[in-house]
Amino acid sequence: MTDNIDFKQYWKSQSIATPDAKELIKKASQFKRNTLFKLIAANVLLLATSIGIGFVWYYFQPDFLSTKIGIILCIVAMVVYLAFYNTLVPLLLKNDIELDSKSQLQQLLALKEKQRFLQSVLLNGYFILLFTGLSLYMYEYVSRMTLPWAIFSYGLVVFWIAINAFYFGPKTLRKQQGRLNKLINQLKDLNEQLTD
Amino acid sequence: MTFEEIHTTYWPKVYRQCIGYMNDPDIAKDLAQETFIKVWQQLPKFRNESSISTWIFRIAVNTCLRQIEKDKKMPKSELPMGLVAEVSVDNEPEVQFLYQCISELPEIDRIIISLELEELKQKEIAEIVGLSESNVRVRIHRIKEKLTKKFQQHDR
Repeated sequence: MTDNIDFKQYWKSQSIATPDAKELIKKASQFKRNTLFKLIAANVLLLATSIGIGFVWYYFQPDFLSTKIGIILCIVAMVVYLAFYNTLVPLLLKNDIELDSKSQLQQLLALKEKQRFLQSVLLNGYFILLFTGLSLYMYEYVSRMTLPWAIFSYGLVVFWIAINAFYFGPKTLRKQQGRLNKLINQLKDLNEQLTD
Repeated sequence: MTFEEIHTTYWPKVYRQCIGYMNDPDIAKDLAQETFIKVWQQLPKFRNESSISTWIFRIAVNTCLRQIEKDKKMPKSELPMGLVAEVSVDNEPEVQFLYQCISELPEIDRIIISLELEELKQKEIAEIVGLSESNVRVRIHRIKEKLTKKFQQHDR
Protein backbone atom coordinates (compact mmCIF):
# COMPACT_ATOMS: atom_id res chain seq x y z
CA MET A 1 0.00 0.00 0.00
CA THR A 2 1.44 3.29 -1.06
CA ASP A 3 1.98 6.29 1.21
CA ASN A 4 1.14 8.58 -1.65
CA ILE A 5 -2.62 8.43 -2.05
CA ASP A 6 -3.99 10.96 -4.50
CA PHE A 7 -6.69 12.46 -2.28
CA LYS A 8 -7.18 15.35 -4.68
CA GLN A 9 -8.25 13.05 -7.45
CA TYR A 10 -10.84 11.36 -5.20
CA TRP A 11 -11.97 14.73 -3.88
CA LYS A 12 -12.76 16.02 -7.34
CA SER A 13 -14.61 12.95 -8.56
CA GLN A 14 -17.52 13.68 -6.23
CA SER A 15 -20.44 13.98 -8.64
CA ILE A 16 -22.29 17.28 -8.55
CA ALA A 17 -25.31 18.79 -10.26
CA THR A 18 -25.36 22.57 -10.51
CA PRO A 19 -28.81 24.10 -9.95
CA ASP A 20 -30.37 27.00 -11.82
CA ALA A 21 -29.13 30.39 -10.62
CA LYS A 22 -32.37 32.22 -11.44
CA GLU A 23 -34.45 30.18 -8.97
CA LEU A 24 -31.89 30.91 -6.29
CA ILE A 25 -32.06 34.66 -6.84
CA LYS A 26 -35.85 34.61 -6.67
CA LYS A 27 -35.78 32.75 -3.37
CA ALA A 28 -33.07 34.97 -1.94
CA SER A 29 -35.03 38.18 -2.39
CA GLN A 30 -38.10 36.62 -0.79
CA PHE A 31 -36.11 35.54 2.25
CA LYS A 32 -34.68 39.01 2.77
CA ARG A 33 -38.14 40.57 2.66
CA ASN A 34 -39.51 38.14 5.28
CA THR A 35 -36.88 39.01 7.86
CA LEU A 36 -37.39 42.70 7.37
CA PHE A 37 -41.14 42.30 7.70
CA LYS A 38 -40.89 40.66 11.13
CA LEU A 39 -38.79 43.53 12.48
CA ILE A 40 -41.20 46.14 11.18
CA ALA A 41 -44.24 44.24 12.51
CA ALA A 42 -42.87 44.12 16.08
CA ASN A 43 -42.15 47.84 15.99
CA VAL A 44 -45.52 48.82 14.59
CA LEU A 45 -47.39 46.67 17.11
CA LEU A 46 -45.70 47.98 20.24
CA LEU A 47 -45.63 51.58 19.06
CA ALA A 48 -49.33 51.45 18.20
CA THR A 49 -50.07 50.14 21.70
CA SER A 50 -48.03 52.93 23.25
CA ILE A 51 -49.85 55.54 21.19
CA GLY A 52 -53.18 53.95 22.17
CA ILE A 53 -52.33 54.23 25.86
CA GLY A 54 -51.12 57.79 25.38
CA PHE A 55 -54.41 58.59 23.70
CA VAL A 56 -56.30 57.46 26.82
CA TRP A 57 -54.43 60.08 28.83
CA TYR A 58 -55.22 62.81 26.32
CA TYR A 59 -58.87 61.88 25.81
CA PHE A 60 -60.10 60.87 29.28
CA GLN A 61 -57.95 63.33 31.26
CA PRO A 62 -57.35 61.14 34.35
CA ASP A 63 -57.51 62.94 37.74
CA PHE A 64 -55.18 60.75 39.78
CA LEU A 65 -51.42 61.08 39.59
CA SER A 66 -51.17 57.28 39.90
CA THR A 67 -52.94 56.88 36.55
CA LYS A 68 -50.47 59.15 34.82
CA ILE A 69 -47.45 57.44 36.38
CA GLY A 70 -48.94 54.10 35.38
CA ILE A 71 -49.33 55.18 31.77
CA ILE A 72 -45.74 56.45 31.69
CA LEU A 73 -44.39 53.20 33.15
CA CYS A 74 -46.23 51.07 30.59
CA ILE A 75 -44.97 53.19 27.72
CA VAL A 76 -41.43 53.16 29.12
CA ALA A 77 -41.56 49.36 29.40
CA MET A 78 -42.52 48.99 25.76
CA VAL A 79 -40.11 51.62 24.46
CA VAL A 80 -37.18 50.13 26.40
CA TYR A 81 -38.03 46.69 25.09
CA LEU A 82 -38.20 47.99 21.53
CA ALA A 83 -34.99 49.95 21.88
CA PHE A 84 -33.04 46.86 22.95
CA TYR A 85 -34.75 44.64 20.45
CA ASN A 86 -33.93 47.03 17.65
CA THR A 87 -30.25 47.26 18.56
CA LEU A 88 -29.93 43.49 18.87
CA VAL A 89 -31.71 42.46 15.71
CA PRO A 90 -29.42 44.20 13.21
CA LEU A 91 -26.47 42.56 15.00
CA LEU A 92 -28.15 39.19 14.68
CA LEU A 93 -28.94 39.74 11.03
CA LYS A 94 -25.66 41.39 10.13
CA ASN A 95 -23.65 39.17 7.90
CA ASP A 96 -20.08 39.32 9.03
CA ILE A 97 -19.59 36.44 6.70
CA GLU A 98 -16.69 38.03 4.89
CA LEU A 99 -14.37 37.96 7.89
CA ASP A 100 -11.94 35.12 8.35
CA SER A 101 -13.34 32.28 10.43
CA LYS A 102 -11.38 33.13 13.55
CA SER A 103 -12.58 36.74 13.80
CA GLN A 104 -16.07 35.72 12.81
CA LEU A 105 -16.34 33.09 15.52
CA GLN A 106 -14.97 35.44 18.17
CA GLN A 107 -17.49 38.09 17.19
CA LEU A 108 -20.31 35.58 17.19
CA LEU A 109 -19.32 34.37 20.65
CA ALA A 110 -19.30 37.90 22.06
CA LEU A 111 -22.69 38.60 20.51
CA LYS A 112 -24.27 35.44 21.87
CA GLU A 113 -23.00 36.14 25.37
CA LYS A 114 -24.45 39.64 25.17
CA GLN A 115 -27.73 38.20 23.93
CA ARG A 116 -27.88 35.73 26.83
CA PHE A 117 -27.41 38.54 29.34
CA LEU A 118 -29.91 40.86 27.68
CA GLN A 119 -32.62 38.26 27.40
CA SER A 120 -32.80 37.50 31.11
CA VAL A 121 -32.40 41.08 32.35
CA LEU A 122 -34.66 42.58 29.73
CA LEU A 123 -37.55 40.17 30.11
CA ASN A 124 -37.66 40.51 33.90
CA GLY A 125 -37.45 44.30 33.71
CA TYR A 126 -40.21 44.39 31.13
CA PHE A 127 -42.64 42.43 33.31
CA ILE A 128 -41.89 44.43 36.46
CA LEU A 129 -42.42 47.75 34.68
CA LEU A 130 -45.56 46.56 32.94
CA PHE A 131 -47.13 45.14 36.08
CA THR A 132 -46.38 48.21 38.21
CA GLY A 133 -47.62 50.47 35.44
CA LEU A 134 -50.89 48.60 34.93
CA SER A 135 -51.63 48.40 38.66
CA LEU A 136 -51.15 52.13 39.11
CA TYR A 137 -53.10 52.93 35.99
CA MET A 138 -56.08 50.85 37.10
CA TYR A 139 -56.29 52.32 40.58
CA GLU A 140 -58.31 55.41 39.60
CA TYR A 141 -60.99 53.41 37.79
CA VAL A 142 -61.10 50.56 40.27
CA SER A 143 -61.53 52.97 43.20
CA ARG A 144 -64.88 53.98 41.69
CA MET A 145 -66.12 50.37 41.52
CA THR A 146 -67.80 48.33 44.22
CA LEU A 147 -65.46 46.05 46.17
CA PRO A 148 -66.30 42.75 44.41
CA TRP A 149 -65.79 44.34 41.00
CA ALA A 150 -62.52 45.89 42.16
CA ILE A 151 -61.22 42.55 43.37
CA PHE A 152 -62.36 40.90 40.15
CA SER A 153 -60.59 43.50 37.98
CA TYR A 154 -57.32 43.37 39.88
CA GLY A 155 -57.56 39.60 40.07
CA LEU A 156 -57.86 39.37 36.31
CA VAL A 157 -54.82 41.58 35.69
CA VAL A 158 -52.71 39.82 38.31
CA PHE A 159 -53.68 36.46 36.84
CA TRP A 160 -52.80 37.53 33.31
CA ILE A 161 -49.47 39.07 34.27
CA ALA A 162 -48.61 36.14 36.54
CA ILE A 163 -49.21 33.61 33.78
CA ASN A 164 -46.89 35.56 31.51
CA ALA A 165 -44.25 36.37 34.10
CA PHE A 166 -44.11 32.99 35.83
CA TYR A 167 -45.13 30.55 33.14
CA PHE A 168 -44.70 31.65 29.51
CA GLY A 169 -41.80 34.03 30.16
CA PRO A 170 -39.54 31.58 32.05
CA LYS A 171 -40.52 28.75 29.71
CA THR A 172 -39.45 30.69 26.62
CA LEU A 173 -36.40 31.99 28.45
CA ARG A 174 -35.28 28.53 29.56
CA LYS A 175 -35.62 27.21 26.06
CA GLN A 176 -33.72 30.10 24.52
CA GLN A 177 -31.05 30.13 27.19
CA GLY A 178 -30.58 26.39 26.87
CA ARG A 179 -30.00 26.78 23.17
CA LEU A 180 -27.71 29.75 23.68
CA ASN A 181 -25.66 27.94 26.32
CA LYS A 182 -25.18 24.97 24.04
CA LEU A 183 -24.23 27.24 21.18
CA ILE A 184 -21.78 29.24 23.29
CA ASN A 185 -20.03 26.05 24.36
CA GLN A 186 -19.75 24.85 20.77
CA LEU A 187 -18.39 28.23 19.69
CA LYS A 188 -15.80 28.11 22.47
CA ASP A 189 -14.74 24.69 21.27
CA LEU A 190 -14.39 25.93 17.69
CA ASN A 191 -12.39 28.93 18.88
CA GLU A 192 -10.02 26.63 20.69
CA GLN A 193 -9.46 24.69 17.50
CA LEU A 194 -8.43 27.95 15.87
CA THR A 195 -5.55 28.93 18.15
CA ASP A 196 -2.21 29.29 16.43
CA MET B 1 -17.78 38.65 -12.93
CA THR B 2 -21.58 38.37 -12.96
CA PHE B 3 -23.45 36.33 -10.37
CA GLU B 4 -24.36 33.72 -12.98
CA GLU B 5 -20.69 33.26 -13.89
CA ILE B 6 -19.69 33.00 -10.25
CA HIS B 7 -22.47 30.54 -9.63
CA THR B 8 -21.46 28.28 -12.50
CA THR B 9 -17.75 28.39 -11.66
CA TYR B 10 -17.96 28.06 -7.90
CA TRP B 11 -21.02 25.90 -7.23
CA PRO B 12 -19.09 22.59 -7.49
CA LYS B 13 -16.24 23.94 -5.34
CA VAL B 14 -18.57 25.30 -2.68
CA TYR B 15 -20.69 22.17 -2.72
CA ARG B 16 -17.62 19.97 -2.19
CA GLN B 17 -16.60 22.25 0.66
CA CYS B 18 -20.00 21.79 2.28
CA ILE B 19 -20.18 18.05 1.79
CA GLY B 20 -16.63 17.75 3.13
CA TYR B 21 -17.87 19.51 6.24
CA MET B 22 -21.14 17.64 6.76
CA ASN B 23 -20.93 14.48 4.59
CA ASP B 24 -24.68 14.68 4.01
CA PRO B 25 -25.88 15.58 0.50
CA ASP B 26 -29.09 17.28 1.71
CA ILE B 27 -27.44 19.48 4.32
CA ALA B 28 -24.57 20.22 1.94
CA LYS B 29 -27.07 21.31 -0.68
CA ASP B 30 -28.77 23.63 1.80
CA LEU B 31 -25.45 25.07 2.95
CA ALA B 32 -24.27 25.65 -0.61
CA GLN B 33 -27.55 27.37 -1.47
CA GLU B 34 -27.30 29.55 1.60
CA THR B 35 -23.76 30.47 0.65
CA PHE B 36 -24.84 31.60 -2.79
CA ILE B 37 -27.80 33.53 -1.40
CA LYS B 38 -25.30 35.46 0.73
CA VAL B 39 -22.92 35.86 -2.21
CA TRP B 40 -25.76 37.25 -4.28
CA GLN B 41 -26.77 39.68 -1.52
CA GLN B 42 -23.23 40.86 -0.80
CA LEU B 43 -21.86 40.92 -4.34
CA PRO B 44 -22.63 44.62 -4.95
CA LYS B 45 -20.49 45.40 -1.88
CA PHE B 46 -17.54 43.28 -2.96
CA ARG B 47 -14.54 45.58 -3.42
CA ASN B 48 -11.71 43.40 -4.65
CA GLU B 49 -9.85 43.81 -1.35
CA SER B 50 -9.29 40.09 -1.48
CA SER B 51 -9.54 37.80 -4.48
CA ILE B 52 -13.06 36.70 -5.39
CA SER B 53 -12.11 33.12 -4.57
CA THR B 54 -10.97 33.99 -1.02
CA TRP B 55 -14.13 36.02 -0.55
CA ILE B 56 -16.47 33.24 -1.67
CA PHE B 57 -14.70 30.56 0.33
CA ARG B 58 -14.80 32.76 3.43
CA ILE B 59 -18.56 33.02 3.06
CA ALA B 60 -18.87 29.28 2.42
CA VAL B 61 -16.71 28.33 5.40
CA ASN B 62 -18.50 30.74 7.72
CA THR B 63 -21.86 29.44 6.54
CA CYS B 64 -20.72 25.91 7.40
CA LEU B 65 -19.43 26.99 10.81
CA ARG B 66 -22.63 28.85 11.57
CA GLN B 67 -24.57 25.70 10.83
CA ILE B 68 -24.45 24.99 14.59
CA GLU B 69 -26.33 28.20 15.20
CA LYS B 70 -29.55 27.36 13.50
CA ASP B 71 -31.49 24.27 14.18
CA LYS B 72 -34.59 26.11 13.09
CA LYS B 73 -33.45 29.47 11.81
CA MET B 74 -33.80 28.57 8.16
CA PRO B 75 -36.10 25.58 7.91
CA LYS B 76 -35.77 23.39 4.88
CA SER B 77 -39.28 24.25 3.76
CA GLU B 78 -38.17 27.82 3.06
CA LEU B 79 -35.69 26.64 0.52
CA PRO B 80 -36.89 25.68 -2.93
CA MET B 81 -37.39 22.02 -3.41
CA GLY B 82 -35.82 20.27 -6.32
CA LEU B 83 -33.36 23.03 -7.12
CA VAL B 84 -30.68 20.43 -7.37
CA ALA B 85 -31.27 17.26 -9.25
CA GLU B 86 -30.78 14.36 -6.87
CA VAL B 87 -27.11 13.69 -6.42
CA SER B 88 -26.44 10.22 -7.60
CA VAL B 89 -24.69 8.06 -5.05
CA ASP B 90 -22.71 6.20 -7.65
CA ASN B 91 -19.40 7.53 -6.38
CA GLU B 92 -16.55 5.11 -6.18
CA PRO B 93 -16.07 3.57 -2.75
CA GLU B 94 -12.73 5.38 -2.34
CA VAL B 95 -14.43 8.72 -2.93
CA GLN B 96 -17.12 7.93 -0.40
CA PHE B 97 -14.53 6.74 2.08
CA LEU B 98 -12.49 9.93 1.69
CA TYR B 99 -15.52 12.12 2.41
CA GLN B 100 -16.45 9.96 5.36
CA CYS B 101 -12.94 10.20 6.85
CA ILE B 102 -12.91 13.96 6.44
CA SER B 103 -16.28 14.34 8.16
CA GLU B 104 -14.88 12.50 11.18
CA LEU B 105 -12.15 15.14 11.70
CA PRO B 106 -12.57 18.13 14.06
CA GLU B 107 -14.51 20.98 12.39
CA ILE B 108 -11.60 23.27 11.59
CA ASP B 109 -9.51 20.40 10.23
CA ARG B 110 -12.36 19.45 7.93
CA ILE B 111 -12.37 22.95 6.54
CA ILE B 112 -8.61 23.17 6.12
CA ILE B 113 -8.25 19.85 4.33
CA SER B 114 -11.25 20.56 2.07
CA LEU B 115 -9.68 23.85 1.00
CA GLU B 116 -6.33 22.12 0.44
CA LEU B 117 -7.91 19.41 -1.69
CA GLU B 118 -9.67 22.13 -3.67
CA GLU B 119 -6.09 23.22 -4.53
CA LEU B 120 -6.16 26.59 -2.82
CA LYS B 121 -2.77 28.06 -1.91
CA GLN B 122 -1.81 27.68 1.73
CA LYS B 123 -1.56 31.45 1.99
CA GLU B 124 -5.18 31.73 0.85
CA ILE B 125 -6.32 29.03 3.30
CA ALA B 126 -4.60 30.95 6.10
CA GLU B 127 -6.46 34.10 5.04
CA ILE B 128 -9.78 32.28 5.00
CA VAL B 129 -9.61 30.65 8.42
CA GLY B 130 -7.50 33.28 10.18
CA LEU B 131 -4.52 31.14 11.15
CA SER B 132 -0.86 31.70 10.28
CA GLU B 133 0.49 30.16 7.11
CA SER B 134 2.98 28.00 8.98
CA ASN B 135 0.25 26.68 11.24
CA VAL B 136 -1.87 25.81 8.21
CA ARG B 137 1.09 23.97 6.63
CA VAL B 138 1.68 21.90 9.77
CA ARG B 139 -2.00 21.06 10.10
CA ILE B 140 -2.36 19.98 6.48
CA HIS B 141 0.61 17.69 6.91
CA ARG B 142 -0.88 16.10 10.03
CA ILE B 143 -4.34 15.71 8.53
CA LYS B 144 -2.92 14.03 5.43
CA GLU B 145 -0.99 11.64 7.63
CA LYS B 146 -4.18 10.80 9.49
CA LEU B 147 -6.11 10.24 6.27
CA THR B 148 -3.33 8.09 4.78
CA LYS B 149 -3.36 5.89 7.87
CA LYS B 150 -7.11 5.47 7.69
CA PHE B 151 -6.91 4.53 4.01
CA GLN B 152 -4.17 2.01 4.67
CA GLN B 153 -6.15 0.39 7.48
CA HIS B 154 -9.24 0.40 5.31
CA ASP B 155 -7.43 -1.40 2.50
CA ARG B 156 -6.21 -4.22 4.69
